[in-house]
Amino acid sequence: MTGTLISLISILLGIIAANSTGFIFKKYSFGIIGNTLIGVFGSILFIKSFGRLGFDPWSIMNDGKFDAFLLIVNLLVSALGGILGLIFVKMIYNKMNK
Amino acid sequence: MEDMIFYDRLQFAFTITFHYIFPQLTMGLSLIIVYYKWRYLKNNIEKYNDAAKFFMKIFAINFTMGVVTGIPMEFQFGTNWAKFSELTGGIIGQTLAMEGMFSFFLESSFLALFIFGEKLMGQKLHFLTGFLVFLGSWASGWFILATNAWMQHPVGYEILDNGKFVLENFSALFTNPWLLPAFLHNQMASVVTSSFVVASIGAFYILRNKKTEYGRLFLKTGVVFGLISSVLVAFPTGDWNAKNVAKHQPGTFAAMEGIFITEKAGAEIVLIGQPNMVSKKLDNKIAVPNILSFLTYQKWHEQIPGMDQFEEDELPDNIPALYYSYHIMVGLGTIFIGVMALALFFLWRKKLYNMKPLLWTIMFLVPFPYIANITGWYTAELGRQPYLVYGLLRTSDGISPTVSSGNTLFTLLGFVALYMLLGLLFLVLVGKTINEGPEPQTH
Repeated sequence: MTGTLISLISILLGIIAANSTGFIFKKYSFGIIGNTLIGVFGSILFIKSFGRLGFDPWSIMNDGKFDAFLLIVNLLVSALGGILGLIFVKMIYNKMNK
Repeated sequence: MEDMIFYDRLQFAFTITFHYIFPQLTMGLSLIIVYYKWRYLKNNIEKYNDAAKFFMKIFAINFTMGVVTGIPMEFQFGTNWAKFSELTGGIIGQTLAMEGMFSFFLESSFLALFIFGEKLMGQKLHFLTGFLVFLGSWASGWFILATNAWMQHPVGYEILDNGKFVLENFSALFTNPWLLPAFLHNQMASVVTSSFVVASIGAFYILRNKKTEYGRLFLKTGVVFGLISSVLVAFPTGDWNAKNVAKHQPGTFAAMEGIFITEKAGAEIVLIGQPNMVSKKLDNKIAVPNILSFLTYQKWHEQIPGMDQFEEDELPDNIPALYYSYHIMVGLGTIFIGVMALALFFLWRKKLYNMKPLLWTIMFLVPFPYIANITGWYTAELGRQPYLVYGLLRTSDGISPTVSSGNTLFTLLGFVALYMLLGLLFLVLVGKTINEGPEPQTH
């Protein structure tokens, strides 16, 4: 059950990471709306793709025993998803609008 | 046990209610976006293209929030409703997987192309991407409703010795007599929501004397789409649905309409009244005789079975909530027809844009289609109780036996807190987009 909450928290972290990246590196920013949307999809993509390596929400809450280390890995990967998502989408956007 | 069922149902009700705020707008809005894009292709008037792109931004925010709030729904099938998933997974897994694989990917891929690819693709392909977003969002509704239709009126299944449901006839899932009326009713209701959103943004711009050209366009579009869809929600789709309920779930129909005692001939339609579950009657009732019989069977004196004809444990377990949900939905639907008809009349008389009281009314009515849509779903879901799969699997047999009520309550509180945060973020993003308004193309 708590695993579901963790998945939502990691998406929120993806949103924060994408917005922070956009704020610091203006050339990658799509504005708060675009950054937020990309943050959501970037973090979901990364967590769904790489979480199976052992840090998905169910592994974090394995048998009800909370694993803080795995949670940190999960949150970091989620944030990375938001950041890389922003950079990747900006690259595609630039190529499509040349 | 009772405690566990209550909290599991409460959590699902909360998460699905919050989730459904978003798809009901995206489904209807995608149709309006396609309309604007088509008008632009036909007339080459730039404001239609600006309008399509502006509403696609609002669509994207809603779509994203829909994805985020949809994730817990997917998990809840496994966590809170493990027995239900175990027993019926062979059937509902088909339609839910198709929703993810076909509709979601179609919608999200072409949404990105619509937003970023206008210059690269040219206008005809840009229109096509908008159309595919519309197709994806409506297909998503179709698959979800196919799942729900099977739960309301199970068809094409076989039950194995171990109690598991397996699919015997795949096409039966999509030719289910429950599905088409439910889908059309749901989609029209989502167009009502979007029409009110579009019209209210238009009214907002006109009242603030800002971007008035777009304001007029949005108001006009919202009013025309709003009136057509409000009428179609009531008739034929709503009528068709109600007849389906009367035919396949007669106990639910009696509870929705507040018929406690079977009348000898000709059932009345109740306009106002409060269910009294102790004395089994409606208090302070205002009713019109024989109308319900006529609406249901086109015969003034046809008998409609009341709740006294059914075993108590076969009837919905929260009759007042079901009765009020249904009556709120119908009452609001009637108000929508009235307001939109009035607005269309003044639009035709070329007075709408200067009628401030009506503009204020349209602007402040925007939460009510959401309420009507959600109470419509409450009617369907409360009406199916005490079953998860009507007549076959009781709700009490579908929960996860090992998840305690305390555990469910804890995560429910977590959801409330996180959804509050997401809700705030959503309001900020949509508010910012509306405040910025459509961006006119410069050549």
